[in-house]
Amino acid sequence: MYRRDILRWAANGFGALAAESLLAGQKAHFPAKAKSVIFLFMVGGPSQIDTFDPKPLLEKYAGERLPESLGKVPGQFTDGSTPILPSPWKFKRHGRSGTWVSDLMPHIAECVDDLCIVRNFHTESVVHAPAMYQVMSGRILMGYPSLGSWVTYGLGSETENLPAYVVMPQPEGTPEGGTPMWGSGFLPAVHQGTLLRPGANPILHLKPWMESRRQKATLGLLQEMNRQDAPAGNEEMAARIASYELAFRMQTHAPEAVDLKQESAATRRLYGLDEARTAEFGTRCLLARRMVERGVRFVQIYSGGGPVSMQWDAHDHLQANHEKMAGMTDKPVAGLIKDLKSRGLLDSTLVIWGSEFGRLPMSQSGNGRDHNPHGFTMWFAGGGVKGGQVLGDTDEFGLRAIDGWHMRDFHATILHALGLDQNKLWYLHNGRHEKLTDFGGKVMERVLG
Amino acid sequence: MKKGWLLALAAAVCGLAWVDNAKDDAWVASRKNWWAFQPVERPEAAGIDELAGKSGAELDRRRLIRRLSLDLTGLPPAAGDVERFLRDESEDAYEKLVERLMASPHYGERMGQKWLDVVRYADTNGFELDEERKHAWRYRDYVVAAFNKDKPYDLFIKEQIAGDEMFPENQEALIATGFLRAGPEHLVGGNQDEEMNRQEVLTEMTAVIGGAFLGLTVNCARCHNHKFDPIPQADYYRLQAVLAGTVGKDPVIVPEEEKRGREAEQKAFEERMKPITDEIKAIEKPYRERLKEEKKAKLSAGHLAALAVEKDKRNEVEKRLGKEAEDQIKVSWDEAVAALTPEDRERRRGLRNKMHALEYERPAPVPAAYAMGNMEKAPATHILKVGNHKMKQEEVTPGLLRVLNPPAVTGEVAGRRTALANWLASGEHPLTARVMVNRIWQMRMGEGIVSTPNDFGVLGGKPSNKRLLDWLAWEFVRGGWSVKKLDRQILLSKAYRGERTPRRLEAEFLRDSVLAVSGALNPRLGGTPLKVPIEQEVYDLIFTEAEPDNLWPVERDEREHTRRSLYLLNKRTVRLPMLANFDQPDAMTSCPARPSSTHALQALSLFNSPFMEQQSRRFAERVETECGASGADCMVRRAYLHALSRPPRAGEMESARKFLTQGGSMTEFCLAMLNRNEFVYVP
Repeated sequence: MYRRDILRWAANGFGALAAESLLAGQKAHFPAKAKSVIFLFMVGGPSQIDTFDPKPLLEKYAGERLPESLGKVPGQFTDGSTPILPSPWKFKRHGRSGTWVSDLMPHIAECVDDLCIVRNFHTESVVHAPAMYQVMSGRILMGYPSLGSWVTYGLGSETENLPAYVVMPQPEGTPEGGTPMWGSGFLPAVHQGTLLRPGANPILHLKPWMESRRQKATLGLLQEMNRQDAPAGNEEMAARIASYELAFRMQTHAPEAVDLKQESAATRRLYGLDEARTAEFGTRCLLARRMVERGVRFVQIYSGGGPVSMQWDAHDHLQANHEKMAGMTDKPVAGLIKDLKSRGLLDSTLVIWGSEFGRLPMSQSGNGRDHNPHGFTMWFAGGGVKGGQVLGDTDEFGLRAIDGWHMRDFHATILHALGLDQNKLWYLHNGRHEKLTDFGGKVMERVLG
Repeated sequence: MKKGWLLALAAAVCGLAWVDNAKDDAWVASRKNWWAFQPVERPEAAGIDELAGKSGAELDRRRLIRRLSLDLTGLPPAAGDVERFLRDESEDAYEKLVERLMASPHYGERMGQKWLDVVRYADTNGFELDEERKHAWRYRDYVVAAFNKDKPYDLFIKEQIAGDEMFPENQEALIATGFLRAGPEHLVGGNQDEEMNRQEVLTEMTAVIGGAFLGLTVNCARCHNHKFDPIPQADYYRLQAVLAGTVGKDPVIVPEEEKRGREAEQKAFEERMKPITDEIKAIEKPYRERLKEEKKAKLSAGHLAALAVEKDKRNEVEKRLGKEAEDQIKVSWDEAVAALTPEDRERRRGLRNKMHALEYERPAPVPAAYAMGNMEKAPATHILKVGNHKMKQEEVTPGLLRVLNPPAVTGEVAGRRTALANWLASGEHPLTARVMVNRIWQMRMGEGIVSTPNDFGVLGGKPSNKRLLDWLAWEFVRGGWSVKKLDRQILLSKAYRGERTPRRLEAEFLRDSVLAVSGALNPRLGGTPLKVPIEQEVYDLIFTEAEPDNLWPVERDEREHTRRSLYLLNKRTVRLPMLANFDQPDAMTSCPARPSSTHALQALSLFNSPFMEQQSRRFAERVETECGASGADCMVRRAYLHALSRPPRAGEMESARKFLTQGGSMTEFCLAMLNRNEFVYVP
């Protein structure tokens, strides 16, 4: 076995080549533009009707009940009888495309010509965790491999120095769905998302507890022993030897990869690192760019987690909540798009902005909104995406998607953008050919232009 | 043709589905000839070795005891035991070793781990709240004990499926029904679709019975007829109907008097806690009031006016506005904490710490079984179009899979599960014994005779050696369903004792082996799940919207930190990184065969984690103590005997000496030993 093969094998963590009949993938099924993904997940459900899906009719119905013709639509906590709440924000057209975006996101508004905004997604659960599992893994249940796991399972890794799939949650806490949102489910553990943190110790257990000279010597001893222990032709043990080399290399490279001191003042400003409210999320967005630059396949970022006040879950005080959350993320997200673009990375990076669901046009607590799984917005940019367009719609109240796209379609489209055929990407588990899209989704061809 | 069309129309008009039973019957009949549905045939053969064919050359004794010990107990042999085995020149030395290891209480732990993988056991509910199940561990201990005392497998089945019905006076059998409740369950507030949640619970139960006992993916037929096996969708719902009246129950398992005593303890404890929580509230009170006033000042006139009206005097509009106003002026914990002066925040923190310290003295809850029982009446079961509870089709009565010519299931509620259990445990069932012997074979040989142990259907494939599988199944039933007897037959075979490709230790046994070798292992069996120290990064993954302190009160007795991995709190949404990295299953779905992946994060956790640092230090101390002034060679030798069950070869001794004289410490040497392939792999 050539060294390169061993490395590739170890990095991809093939348990046993004999099991290859159970596996499919490790290279794209067809050529594609996108090589990596950055998924910006807004935890708790930002409101579509206050961001990308303007509904002037809500002004007219302000304070009134939803017309009976629309049926009774309960949220998780409201019964559907509460009065309609118009958006407190103004919408304007932006860019050459003239795309509507609310005042809440002035920076993202500058990027609309690179975005494909899809306003008619819908999902199955009105509750956070199941809805999160659905958008992250295709099912409302726990235990299915996450999107990033499927992608790395399908495409493998392009870096020997970093994990293929990294996750950066909100420092204040994890999203409601917790670790199963980036777990590998029944896929081998190598495909799980690896937590990445800024600072000197970006990956768990990266930092050796002995001084580096000693670590090197101990590792030398270990590898000598390991070479003795591996019988000729035992590929798994050979891969284990390589895995230590990779770990050692990660130890050297990961701190460099997260070292933002190398970034220019202009770049740091672009991501809002110079402002208190954007510095934290900006740091994670900038890290995301540095990751894809270094060959990381899938970067998952969560805005929101822990206390309710640190999520987009605006059951009351919608305005204060969304201003806070958007205030932290708008500039960094726009900075990321602009930076990727100026570095020529946007073409090969699929950027996704979205959440587990949207919010109802009716109010909760007078000035908030309950969950809305029936219609909500997500957007795409970069790798293979046709920017400057808005696709789909919700009804006049922003309540239900018209001819909506299911999460299966969302997933099928992402896989397609990466050159993966949803039906060829499967894993045999407990008697089923498990796929991310289960029964199969429709590729949203217009997104990809 | 015409009649069929009319019936279809009638069904459509009446909103009924038209399940064509005759068509299903014909389809099932046409697929009945699949090998796994045929009765077990007893092959004329002397034993395993005649059937298994050529086996590798027998292992040398050191590797043999190592393999046997890791396979049977999940722990490497003690150095002294290796030497004793080597010195034992009697003819039945190996047989005696097998007996000794099967009699070890660790045997049940190793076998239990496998079973718990299959039933996806965990100590929490899963999903966002992921609350701890305070009594679930009794089922885990039941499983370990069952394997240790060699509970006949037919009884093991009956107790887990219908213990409450069949042995109502027997507490152990009640605890056993925790099997049906071991899977994840979504429990959360707000407007819930109760019917959907119930359907998921029923699917979990039905699926685990299918996978664990039948070796069939019956749950694939929840949404449509099974794509590969002759399981009509109607059969899935008939099987699910067996469980329609089954609900989770937590019966108290101590006498009334003890229960009252425990409740009194709880009350006394709450009284000790109250002054602390009161004091915290008192500190927060002025701040909360101020914040509330500030929020009130921002309320609309209408909201303010409604709030001013006494609650029970509000009219409809005022009621709504009043409720909204109350929501708007609520003060959350983080707002209150942020408002405190530094002094008050410090005082409050001191009290929180006092509260957490006292929390350790909280009396254990009144002992209960995390069990199953029956409702008064079983709700009707309908076939659901594409498995959707909103798309009910025709009603079905409880029944078993028709492809296996089952007996009828009767009983309003009680008795349905008994019928299912009796059918599975009858000894005539073509799958029950095959599925279990295949699991035992898989544990011993690395791969099952059927390589998909939860799927004996068409997609799972054919056995690599059907005669052997049937022989084992036959012996199993004939031997009174004794797992140990069957296991012994396998272990004594040449097939088992021969050379084979080494397998990586499973995650838990790797951690346990490290502890055994370092000398730190606390071998105590059973009990409540343990919280061992975790890294801050892992702590941060525990989801809460409340104040995130004391979410993981670490067990105070440090000797408990080095218990076997089986007893560490198995929390569905927060996995321990070292175990997860080595492919520990996530307890979300049944895991009949673990993947064995190799990647850099494993190397990081096995080389750099605080756990490994600690254990290599202990390991070094251990050999230093053992050798006293005898010097480095002795220590290296001892380290080899403990970690690898063999002395170092000349070249190895030389490189160890070189390492140690060039500035290497014994701790570093021990770390390398615990990382090397030979330690991590079962020979």
